Amino acid sequence: MKKVIALLLFLGLLFFLGTGLEQGLKLGDRNTLAGKAGEAYLKRTVNSADPSASPSQVEYGSETDIEENAANTLTAVVVGYRSFDTLGEVTVLFLAATGVMALFFASGKKKRLALAKPNFILSVSSGFLLPLIILFGAYVFTHGHLTPGGGFQGGTIIAAAVLLLYMAGNAYKAPATGLKVLEGFSGAGYLLIGLAGLLLTGFFLNNFLPSGKMGALFSAGVIPVVYILIGLKVSAELSGIVSDYMGED
Amino acid sequence: MHTAGQIFILIGTFFMFLGGLGVFRMPDVYNRLQAGTKATTLGFMSIALGVGLSQPQWLLKALVLIAFIAFTNPVSSSVLARAAMKRGIPARKVTRHD
Repeated sequence: MKKVIALLLFLGLLFFLGTGLEQGLKLGDRNTLAGKAGEAYLKRTVNSADPSASPSQVEYGSETDIEENAANTLTAVVVGYRSFDTLGEVTVLFLAATGVMALFFASGKKKRLALAKPNFILSVSSGFLLPLIILFGAYVFTHGHLTPGGGFQGGTIIAAAVLLLYMAGNAYKAPATGLKVLEGFSGAGYLLIGLAGLLLTGFFLNNFLPSGKMGALFSAGVIPVVYILIGLKVSAELSGIVSDYMGED
Repeated sequence: MHTAGQIFILIGTFFMFLGGLGVFRMPDVYNRLQAGTKATTLGFMSIALGVGLSQPQWLLKALVLIAFIAFTNPVSSSVLARAAMKRGIPARKVTRHD
């Protein structure tokens, strides 16, 4: 019974967070694609002295919605134009996590970090706060193309939830194998999306999904898929670092 | 409705200011935590309620935010104060049990 109530509450909150944006902010109506600074900048004319001349005079490439209808221009830059760079960043994070793991492995320190007796207030409230924090992390990376945030931020929030579990005691141990599998599969998924773009459009990591209406959850083509994968990967990596620091039993 | 919301935001800003002043002026970490937590909890709740009242489509979200702050802020400051005490950070002489 308790679990059913918790599940209902979780689904209700997820629905509430997901639907509130469109009705409240009216991104699709008010914040049109043509009014965005990035779009105006990319399409500005260079043939006329007047910088605000009709933007259709110059075609930057032949792409008409180069930002793939992402409401968050920053995300359009990070996972749109510079997706290859983001792939490199993900690799850097992977190398850093591997380095931390190698250091702990080399030092032979396997004992669990001796924490003080867990705080009663923290261990009681962590049971309540944990699902909320994970939900918030998932919200941040699934709405990365709509609101500020994205894969790296949401993944860090989820890793903070794992840290909270360790702090709250209860002899928690993160599932090391599951984390590695999740990390590997999400990283491989990012590469596969890049290869699919190469296959379908001729450019590595190019968008091949429909762009949709700006401000809707299912929009911006391949960007939300990539950001969800990045969020899973970053959360698995940072949780692995946290559990490495805490040691084993 | 709009005016009421703005009054709430003003009250919240005042409490936030008091919290910042308390963090600046209080003598040691325990007193600072007390000033920083109590004042900002109330201040943030008031600001969120004000925003919800002046923009009624955000009222429900503001209430959820208020509940979240009510659950997290006391816990985090309690954990911080406990960690400082376990670490043995001394209190100033003016601080004493009542």
